Amino acid sequence: MTVVVQTEKLSKYYGNVLGLSDVSVSIEPGVVGLLGPNGAGKSTFLKLITGQLKPSLGRILVFGQRVWNNPVIYHQIGYCPEVDTFFEDLTGWQFLTQMLRLHHFSPQAAAKQAEEMLDFLHLSQDKDRLIRSYSRGMRQRLKIAQAIAHDPRLIILDEPLNGLDPLGRRKVIRLIRQMGEAGKTVIVSSHVLPEIEAMTKRIILIHQGKVFAQGNIHYIRELIDTHPHIISIKCDRVRELAAALVKEKEVIKVFFTPDPHEVQLETRQRDVFFERLQQLILDLHLEVEAITSPDDNLQAVFDYLIGER
Amino acid sequence: MTIRKKGYTHWEGELKESFLVWFPLTRLGIKLAFQRRFFRLFFFSSFLPALIFLAGIYISERLEDFRFMLKGSPPFLQITPNFFKIYLSSGLFLVLLVLMMIFVGSGLIADDLRFNALQLYFARPLRKIDYLVGKIATLSFFILLLSLVPGLLFILFKLLFAGNLVFLRTYPWLPLAVIGYSLLLTLFFAGYALALSALSRNSRYVSLMIFGIYIASDIVFGIFYQNFHHPYLALLSIKLNLQQVAAAIFGQKPFYQVPWELSLAILLGLMVGAYFILQRRIRSVEVVK
Amino acid sequence: MMAISLRETSRANFLISFRDVFKFYSFLGIHSRRHKLFFLIALLPVFMAVIFKSSQIIYGQPRFSGLFIYSNMIMMFFLQFLILLLALFFGTSICREEIEGKTLPYIVTRPINKIAFILGKYVAYTLLVSLMVVFSLTLSFVIMNVNRLGDLGIYKVLVRDGGVLLLGIWCYAAFFTFLGVILKKAIFFGLIFSFGWENVIQYFPGKTQKLAIVHYLKSLLPPLSQEGFPFLLFRLEPTPPGEAVLILLGLMILFLALSCGLYSWKEFIIDSQ
Repeated sequence: MTVVVQTEKLSKYYGNVLGLSDVSVSIEPGVVGLLGPNGAGKSTFLKLITGQLKPSLGRILVFGQRVWNNPVIYHQIGYCPEVDTFFEDLTGWQFLTQMLRLHHFSPQAAAKQAEEMLDFLHLSQDKDRLIRSYSRGMRQRLKIAQAIAHDPRLIILDEPLNGLDPLGRRKVIRLIRQMGEAGKTVIVSSHVLPEIEAMTKRIILIHQGKVFAQGNIHYIRELIDTHPHIISIKCDRVRELAAALVKEKEVIKVFFTPDPHEVQLETRQRDVFFERLQQLILDLHLEVEAITSPDDNLQAVFDYLIGER
Repeated sequence: MTIRKKGYTHWEGELKESFLVWFPLTRLGIKLAFQRRFFRLFFFSSFLPALIFLAGIYISERLEDFRFMLKGSPPFLQITPNFFKIYLSSGLFLVLLVLMMIFVGSGLIADDLRFNALQLYFARPLRKIDYLVGKIATLSFFILLLSLVPGLLFILFKLLFAGNLVFLRTYPWLPLAVIGYSLLLTLFFAGYALALSALSRNSRYVSLMIFGIYIASDIVFGIFYQNFHHPYLALLSIKLNLQQVAAAIFGQKPFYQVPWELSLAILLGLMVGAYFILQRRIRSVEVVK
Repeated sequence: MMAISLRETSRANFLISFRDVFKFYSFLGIHSRRHKLFFLIALLPVFMAVIFKSSQIIYGQPRFSGLFIYSNMIMMFFLQFLILLLALFFGTSICREEIEGKTLPYIVTRPINKIAFILGKYVAYTLLVSLMVVFSLTLSFVIMNVNRLGDLGIYKVLVRDGGVLLLGIWCYAAFFTFLGVILKKAIFFGLIFSFGWENVIQYFPGKTQKLAIVHYLKSLLPPLSQEGFPFLLFRLEPTPPGEAVLILLGLMILFLALSCGLYSWKEFIIDSQ
């Protein structure tokens, strides 16, 4: 697959303060979630990709070209900033058409495209109102609209779901997935981990200016061998199951939860254990209600990697 | 003893009312001003005229020693109320105050409007008057440091250098005059700067307005005066109104034959106008149509 | 889509960027509430002209003629206050407006050549200021010379004064654009320059006068009457007009070039808060 964004030992310093350190990633088409706590370096990374900042060290290529002072490349890049600022004296319609005109769209093409985009993001009714009178959600939708209206190949969204109501969030998440499926590259920065999980399984985890992990969530989880996997089993005879589990060499720990029908265990060899579990269930004639992995999710991966668990 | 869990707990002490509710605003405003390096340089440089006048007081007591420098200029070095009037109402001093207002005052309310901070302020037990007093106090701190403090120090040093109280016996009302005029300067410039700051969310634009209106009033006066030669045109200029009132307070003859009460009325009128602007603009909720 | 092909050359991109930026900021300039207020401020000389003319009509036997007042008072108000104030605000806005308003990301992430951005916005804003000033100047001129409008000879004065003011606006705006790119507190330094340096330096004799832009502008005007104008007393040693125009244009080009170069090289860090 073609690499859309490529960084090699990318670093950014603000004076003596480290913004980003030695980041080498390759981003291919599809949706990628950029995760990290406040001050991790996410915004710095996005600003480097969008050419708002110059690298202090290393390099960054987008579509095989450098970004800094390369205006032609912005035909293919759309950026939704985190800050909630606009040209407040304009209406939504005026703002969007003018942003499209800055992409060198003709007046007619800009009007047509703006009309479609505002309609898609449910802003048509308010398009002739001044932006200063818009609600938070409307402003956020307008920001997303100006990022995607010119049909770019690379879309960078910094906290795109801020201020959106649940319906709006679902719509935008669906839009992001559709863009990813259509072959575009979408990089989404967010703190809301369940929503990132709803969008994509590919993540880049940044913390303290460094990339802690990159790739599929499950793959990353597998790599975290300092934290054994937790598996939860709900069945009718938990104590009997627990007694059998204790004898398995892949099982490190077995413990009970407040739920009388649930037992949890820890294992470092999840795949091997699941094969044994099938046999155990058959041997004991258990009626299993549910088997889940409570920590096979983004929150757990996030917490493990930044050391909060 | 109750074992407290880590986390939020109710305050079990007594909530006391404070008369200095506005003080944190003032403290913050002063602290933010001094955080800027260039402002610190400007602030300390603005005491230069005061130092020069202080040197003048010293020289006036040592006239014999400095006679070789003073051929034909003893009237300048007579420390009279006019000396104080010159310091507190000279064109340069007033421009320094205007520049101080630009530095400290242009963003005081404009930035709060821009970042929607008023909602945060008024979600606390802070009334509009407390907010205004806090902002005025920030500007007052700087204006009084430049006006009242040097003014009173001049009197003190004059007495110290003279070694007697003759000066104070001759002009017993002078300290009150210094206090009164300094307060007038403070209230006028604070109201002027804050009203303009409340009219816009852009502090750069406010800076320009603070300076522009002050200078324009003087230029317009100059142009009209040269054509019409009518002394009442002095009422058009903010600077001249302040100088007329200063002359009256320090018992001097005003330069323009205009009743000083009219100048004072104009200044008070502008202060009242500033008050109404602030009342209208400072609201916790902004209605946008 | 309808976007222009990626194969456009740098030069074509520059020209197109310039055109689109110019159109955008002209549009924004017309719709901005703040700019409308500056238009009203620019009408202050008209207000003064109305007062002068009314007093002449009411009281008769004016001390000075309409053309004299226009040339020596109103024109000086334009030259030593109004164009400075307008050029300072609009010039510094070219860069500072986007940074302080945090709208720079919208501009930087568009296919706009950085030099074209500075030049396009500069031309848009200075045109706007020029229109404001020319309108106000013309109206003031007409009011002050309402009884001599049939005399075609006086229009040379208007054209000359308009030209001088336009040259001043474009030169000052270029300088303030440069200040806006390099300094955070551009307004403060601009005020010190405009109403400190420019006013004081012209009172210095000899070559020191040539260190002020206003010296070259005044060199293009006839010598002012010193009658009863003590506050305008200065010893102008004028530069020849042709040389003055070249120097003003040269300064404009120099400051614009510096602005474009610095803006292209510099990165502007916008606080996300």
